[in-house]
Amino acid sequence: MIVSLTTTTERAESADGVRFERFLSWRGHAWISLLMRLYLGYIFLLACWHKILDPAGFAVDVATYQMLPLVTLNFIALVLPWAELFAAIMIIAGWRVKASALLIAGMMVMFMIGLGYALYLGLDTGCGCFASEGVEADPISWMTMARDAFWLALALYVLFLDRRPIGVDGFLARRAEAGA
Amino acid sequence: MKDSTKKTVYITVRDAAVVVAVSTVVALAYNALRPGEGIPLVADEEYDIFVPCPEDFGETDPVAPEDYRVAGERTLIVDAQSDEDYAEWHMEGALHAPYDWLDPVPDEILRKIARENPEAVVVYGDGGDPDTGRELALELSGGGIRNVYHVEGGAPALRAAMESSGGER
Repeated sequence: MIVSLTTTTERAESADGVRFERFLSWRGHAWISLLMRLYLGYIFLLACWHKILDPAGFAVDVATYQMLPLVTLNFIALVLPWAELFAAIMIIAGWRVKASALLIAGMMVMFMIGLGYALYLGLDTGCGCFASEGVEADPISWMTMARDAFWLALALYVLFLDRRPIGVDGFLARRAEAGA
Repeated sequence: MKDSTKKTVYITVRDAAVVVAVSTVVALAYNALRPGEGIPLVADEEYDIFVPCPEDFGETDPVAPEDYRVAGERTLIVDAQSDEDYAEWHMEGALHAPYDWLDPVPDEILRKIARENPEAVVVYGDGGDPDTGRELALELSGGGIRNVYHVEGGAPALRAAMESSGGER
């Protein structure tokens, strides 16, 4: 009887595993993911250009959050926009999609921590996410946090469910398979 | 964890690290190649950031010192002047609530005004630029007090108007 029960449980687990594998390998993920990738890439391209052109202004935006020590401010203001740019280009082109999605997800988590801290302090400041338009045009709020959480969710979808990305990665994989 | 999954995680993290490294190199090179426009790698002094305190401002309308609302029977007059200015001159019967540029208006003042249930609240301050009367009126309005006005020109204008009319309110 015990043997029979164990077998039934194993079968159920196996069936669940098959269903999950089928869900993961569904081809539709790649197309849904493509839309998300183009959207995320567009957002990050939009976010990075003004920071690259005006690192001093972006450094002030970062300083306004009153979270990071002074010695790190300029370094982050210089490097972060370029990481945004490369991640955006890679996710649009479909090259190293998982790495770019991981980077975008990581940056979103960082931004959300900063936003949460600023909201906790009650700072009445601009987001600094896009072209510096000041506090009136882009004020931080729980809506900003919700927006970032939405973008994080998109990045995680791409990271975990896009197994055969449409783009350079897909092309290289097909060529490798054809060669094999 | 399956070997293939481990390999995917390893490649993903490695690629992300490479992108961060390349971003760092490109960013520092680009910054160095922008004479006059680049920023130092480490800021040598604190950034001069301006973050206004979260304040709840309402609305207020200016009234002339001779306005009928200043002399209204159910009008509450509030004096926003400092203690020294208040001691030098103030309108008889005015509620003294010196305006503080840093601290919000005390709750007890708001409660006191609310208890009076006036038809209108007229605030006068030092008449400066900015005028403490207008600032206090904005805060009172933001604190839920209705029909708040401020005297244009503040205490000096009000005093002059009262003296020219023989001290009648």
